[in-house]
Amino acid sequence: MGVTKEDVEAAITSALSPSHLVVTDTSGGCGASYEIEVVSEKFEGKRLLERHRMVNTALSPHMAEIHAVSIKKALAPAQASPAPAPAPAGARRR
Amino acid sequence: MIHPSMASAAASLRLRLALPEVSAPSPAALRFPLRCRRRVSRPLAITAFKKLSEASSVPIPQEPTQPLVDEDALPPKPGVYGVYDPAGELQFVGISRNVRASVEGHRRKVPADLCASVKVAVADEETPDRTVLNNAWKSWMEEHIAATGKAPPGNVAGNYTWVGAPQRPPDLRLTPGRHVQLTVPLEQLINRLVKENKVVAFIKGSRSAPQCGFSQRVVGILEAQGVDFVTVDVLDEEHNHGLRETLKTYSNWPTFPQIFVGGELVGGCDIISSMAEKGELAALFQK
Repeated sequence: MGVTKEDVEAAITSALSPSHLVVTDTSGGCGASYEIEVVSEKFEGKRLLERHRMVNTALSPHMAEIHAVSIKKALAPAQASPAPAPAPAGARRR
Repeated sequence: MIHPSMASAAASLRLRLALPEVSAPSPAALRFPLRCRRRVSRPLAITAFKKLSEASSVPIPQEPTQPLVDEDALPPKPGVYGVYDPAGELQFVGISRNVRASVEGHRRKVPADLCASVKVAVADEETPDRTVLNNAWKSWMEEHIAATGKAPPGNVAGNYTWVGAPQRPPDLRLTPGRHVQLTVPLEQLINRLVKENKVVAFIKGSRSAPQCGFSQRVVGILEAQGVDFVTVDVLDEEHNHGLRETLKTYSNWPTFPQIFVGGELVGGCDIISSMAEKGELAALFQK
């Protein structure tokens, strides 16, 4: 007990300065289980494993009290919003 | 007893011979019949076995206490056999180092309404090569499928009436036990284990009974992929004492399960799950 959603958010924000961050408490109130979605420029060019490691490192001070963290997304901005699909054939600009 | 298993696609005749261990492995040299000796390229086992349609039917007594027919009709020898139900439908084709013993085994384990009679073709040689038996099985299967358009039900993949379900490999242990003083550091044992096994899952609990939801999910995903993998139970304090802390440092990863492929950490449950969803796992295991 003792790790709040805000603690988790603050830890990730200070380490990764994310452009998108969603922390969901999935513990049912005891504060020991979280789901995390994070998009950060610091992830650019990093493998998934590395990106997860960065999130884990950011949380390491709190990990002793958290039972489970599930990283749902750890994406670089380019991956989070893929380039817009090319205009369909036949759609001409006038 | 040895059992060929049969891929589902009967019509395509792609008979996948995933044969488990032969009970009496014999590297015996093939003894060709004299007339074949000069033509080594001649395919094996063409003449060695009777065709399914040529083999005569031998009844199997329904009462388990009643003895099987005599050994002339059902010899304790290597060969191929097909078991028929009372309606005369072929239920299962198997090969064995001892056909009589295998039929006896089926009679005890398989419901009686599936075992009414058996056709047998024994090998000419006393210790035929495994390929010879496999080919005999294959040609009986092909003959039956050509005649009826389907495989015997007992040979369809996933039917465990005749052959037991495949055994899951046991969990690997890093050490013989806590009482044994290690002569090499645990890191080295981990290192060797992940390099010697293509896919290794360090999980909480055993493979057949994972003790954590994440571990269970990973085992499920890996089994669904059909990949060969080994598991190590990080909670086994007797045989893997100290593994949890050492592995966290070794892999620089704070949680379990941990999945290694080709000696490298791929990730934990989240990563494996998301790779499975995106269909990236197959490519990973092909490397």
